[in-house]
Formats: sequence, structure tokens, C-alpha cells
Amino acid sequence: MLEAAKELGAVILKPARNLYGMGLHFAKSRKMAPLVTCVVLCSLFIGGLAEWSRRAVITKASSGISEHATSWGWGSIASISYVAAAVGVVLVCWHWSRLISELTSIARQLQDEQVNYIGPSNSDIINHLCEAVNDRFGKETDCKAQLERQIEDLQIQMQIFEKRGRDTEAIIYSIRDAVIVVDEFDNLLMANEAAGRLFNFDPGNSQHRPVCELISHLRPDSGENQLVDLLQQSRQGKIRNTRREITLSRNDELQTFDCVVSCMYEQKKQVSSVVAVLHDITREKEISQMKNDFVSSVCHELKTPLASITAYSEMLCDGEADDEKTRKEFYAVIQGQAQRLNRLIEDSLNISRIESGLTKVDKKPASLTILIEEQLQMIKNYAAEKNIEVIRDKPIVLDPVNVDRDMISQVIVNLLSNAIKYTPAGGSVRIQTDVDEPSGLVRVNITDTGVGIPDDEIERVFDKFYRVAANKGQAKGTGLGLNLVKQIVEKIHNGRVFATSKVGAGSTFGFELPLATAQMAKV
Amino acid sequence: MAEKKVLVVDDEIHIIHVVAIKLRNNGYDVISAENGADAFELAREQQPDIVVTDFHMPVMTGLDLVRELRQNETTKDIPVIMLTARGFAIEDEQKEDLQISEFLSKPFSPKELLRSIEDILHEKAVMQRH
Repeated sequence: MLEAAKELGAVILKPARNLYGMGLHFAKSRKMAPLVTCVVLCSLFIGGLAEWSRRAVITKASSGISEHATSWGWGSIASISYVAAAVGVVLVCWHWSRLISELTSIARQLQDEQVNYIGPSNSDIINHLCEAVNDRFGKETDCKAQLERQIEDLQIQMQIFEKRGRDTEAIIYSIRDAVIVVDEFDNLLMANEAAGRLFNFDPGNSQHRPVCELISHLRPDSGENQLVDLLQQSRQGKIRNTRREITLSRNDELQTFDCVVSCMYEQKKQVSSVVAVLHDITREKEISQMKNDFVSSVCHELKTPLASITAYSEMLCDGEADDEKTRKEFYAVIQGQAQRLNRLIEDSLNISRIESGLTKVDKKPASLTILIEEQLQMIKNYAAEKNIEVIRDKPIVLDPVNVDRDMISQVIVNLLSNAIKYTPAGGSVRIQTDVDEPSGLVRVNITDTGVGIPDDEIERVFDKFYRVAANKGQAKGTGLGLNLVKQIVEKIHNGRVFATSKVGAGSTFGFELPLATAQMAKV
Repeated sequence: MAEKKVLVVDDEIHIIHVVAIKLRNNGYDVISAENGADAFELAREQQPDIVVTDFHMPVMTGLDLVRELRQNETTKDIPVIMLTARGFAIEDEQKEDLQISEFLSKPFSPKELLRSIEDILHEKAVMQRH
């Protein structure tokens, strides 16, 4: 019984539900409003027609013809039509009010910047609108995301550029060469510390100041003004790279700089800035000059004995030496000059090797006293030949030094032979050693009673090829012996050479070396 | 014809010696000095016909000696031959100003020196005759 009731219910409910669904669908459809409006208009028309028919029936009835039933029928139709029209009007109003409220809600949502999705709605029209708005929202979101990505990329690039800029600045500041950057109006853009020091301005507080104010000099031909001119010329001539040597006077000394000026271009090949880099080449030039002088001096010194050899051998060949005695004299001169040539070459090579650091140094512990004794034995005969007394002051036994024995022996023999060479017969040469333990030094003095050296020349006796003019005739020499002594003692053994003299009374030459014990203590 | 007198100036005694022998063998009278200052004195006193001097000398260089000679009335016309060991080029102006007749570079040939002396003295004699 119950199941039969359920079945009956289902049979009744199904079409009702379908009908409701269709109604709902219709209500949501955008065709609903015009359709309902048409229904309202038709209902009013039918209502009006029915009303007119009813009145015609009533008029006919009043003329005697009883048509009561017909009049009632037309009245019912009119009433139903009016009711239907009223329902239609209510439906249309309800529909429009719903649309307006949904549109108001959408407008409110659109005002909110956070909202990027609208809907869905019960109304087809609103849904359509929502879809269009959501579509636009979607496109805008994509566009925004793309822009954000681009901004992020740009920010990263900017950070990289800023870092590169800072790095470049740091590099420029750390360069020991002076760097100056000026803009297209010759105002300072940047200068490093070295440039500030060189031209005496504060690089930090001088930006945008005219460069000619910062580095100009009173003298029109000064290096400073040359640099300012060079910067201007490079900018005006748009010259990519210019190189020039510039000399600046600093603390009464001339300093030479290798100056490279380069133009930086922006688009359209306009010069945006000019960079000047000044590299100090004073020392390089000095060394180069010294080398040139040395080579030139060596060549000159080599030519002197060579001139004698050439002249004497030509004379012998031409038979200009008449007798045997003259010929023997000529041979002796040639032999002597050849030996001098050899000594010169040897000494030059030794000095050159020491100066360039190519000499093989073999330092070993040695007793200076023993080295001096050995050399004294070697030179004894030479002193005796010249009738010169060599006096050895009480030798100190404990004077250990860490030296290259051959080199220090050469120092001793050079100083001893010089002393004997420039001392007239009957004179004396005294050699003494002092150990200065507090200073960790051993000092050797070689004093002669020779011709002496004028005061103004004593400073130069250790220079290469320098020979005291007044004493040149006294003995042969290359002018390199004392320089070799200086190089060996000072450059190789960290010692010191010295000389004092009085013309006519004699000279004292000597050297100091660090004691091996002191060196060990230091280690 | 009287012996021509040549003043040889060099700080290298061997050079003086060899030049003196060569010139004496060829009939010249040779006087010598080892530096510029002595040479100038000798030139003033002895009035040599020609001076042969080294360039590079202590006290007074060969160039200084020539300057001194040119400034002195009695020595200003003496021709000079300069010997030089440096391969340097002296300024042409200086050469003309100081009227240095010839530069010979060391090592030099005594024969060549003799020929130069002869040429210069011959030229001087011709000039004087005119």
C-alpha cells in the first residue's frame, strides 16, 4: 500500500519537478523578460477584447435579449487576462530588480582592487557579463605578472650594474697610477687617491670642478698644463688613445710619467668622458739611463786599450819600430793593454752579473781574519817590490762571517792592491779588524800613507769608471775595482763600504760585514 | 823647411808615446801634455803648428781645451784634430764654432793620423800663401 503511494507520488512529482526545472531555466534565461512582456501585452489585449465583448453582450441584454451566461463568460476571460497581466508585470519587475541588485553587487566587487574573479550568477546576461569581465581580469593578471617579471629582471640587472660600477671604482681607487676622468665640459668626474696626491687635491670633494682649476700650474709649459691641454685636445679631436711622456716637478725633483689619454664614447659617437692614466716611469728611465751610461762607459773604456793595441801593432807591421829595444817595448805595451782589456771585461761582467742578480753566491761561515791572512800572503811580494811595509794589527780570532769566500777575498785584494798602488815607495799600508759586538758587525780598515784623494772626489770613488784625476798617472786601473767592492759588500753581503782621505797624507778604505753570530741570533 | 811642431794631448801615456814615435819618424817635432790645462799652457808658450787632442780627459776635456785655445789671441788659429773613443756625434754647430779640423775615432790608425796632419798643414800653408 505504502509502495503504491510512493509510486503514485513519484508519478505526480516527476512532471512537477520537470515543470519547475523548465520554469527555473526560463526564469534564468535572458528571453524571459521580453517573453513575459509579450504575455502581459497579449493578456491586456485579450482582457480588453473580453471586456468589450462583455459590455456588448450587456447592452444587447438591456435591449431585451437575455444573454446573461455569455456576459459572465466574457467577464471571466477579461478577469483572467488581467490577472495574468498583473502576474506578468510582477514577474518582469522581479526580474529587473534582481538584475539591478546583481549589477550593483558586481559594481561593488569591481571597486575592490583585490578582486580578480566575479560570478557566477543565476542570470544568463550577468553570467555573460561576468565571463567578459573575468576574461579581461585574466588578461590583465597575465600582463601584470609579465610586467612584474620584467621589473624583477631589470632590478637584478641594475644591481649587477651597480656592483660592477662599485667594483670598477674600487679597482680605479686601488691602482697606484694616477687616474683622472673628466666629462665633456672638462669637469672632473672621478679621480683616485694617487691622482689626488700627485696634483694635491681632495678627490672626494672635487667632483664637477673644472680640471684646469685642479691641476693647472703657473708655468705655461709645465707638465700639468700639458696634461690639461692633452685632455682637451683628445676630447675635441675625438682621439681614441693618445700617449705622451709628461714631466712634473715634485719636491725639487723631476718625475716622468707615461700618460695615456683615452676618450669614452656614447651613442652617435659623442665623447662622453676622457680618462687619463699617469704611470710613473721615473725609476725605469733612471735605470735605462744608467744601463745606457754603463754600456757607453764600458765601450769607451774598452776602446782606450784597444786604441793602444791597434796603434802599436800597426807601427810594428809598418816597421816603424827601428831597433829591438823599441820593438820589445811595443810588445810589452800591447801585452799590457790586452791584459787591461781582459780585466775590464771581467770586471764589467762581474758587476753586471751582480747588478742583475745573476751571480751565483755561495755563502758559507768563514773567519775574516783567515781570509785577510790569505790575501796578505798573495800580495806580499807586490808590496815588497814597491818597498811598502804592510802592517797587520793584532788579528782578532773570533770574527766569523757568513760570506762567499771568493768574493770577499776579491774585496780584500782589491782594497789592499789599491792601497799599495797609490802609496809611494817607503810608505806603509795598515790593515786592522774591529769586532763591534753590540752592533753585530765586523769592520775592516785599510789605511795607507799614499797620495790621498781630494774631498770633492772622495764621494765618487765607488762609482763605476770613476778614477781620481790627479792620481790617474800613479797606476793603471779600470775604474771598476772599487765599484766591484761596493757591489759585493753592500748588495751581496748587506754590509757597508766607506772611505776617508786627506791629500798628501793617505786614505782609509774599509768595509763592515754583519757577524755570523749576530745573523744567527736574528734568525 | 823648419820642422813642424805637433802638440799631442792624451791622458793615456801609451797613446802619446806611439803618436810621438810615428810623427818623429816622419820629421815632426812633438811636444806632449797629459791634460787640457797643461796643454793650453804649452800651446801658448810653444805655439805648435797643430794640436792633436783626446776628447775624454780629466780636469779639462778636449772640447774645453779647444775653447780655451780659440779664446786666446796667440792660439786661436791653431788647427785641431780630435781623437775620441765615444761613438758620439758632436753638434755640427759646435764643430764649426770651435773650428775643429777633423775628428778621428779611437781606435785610430797612426798612418791615418799622419795623413790628416799632413793634409791640414798643407791646406794651411796654401791658405797662408794666398
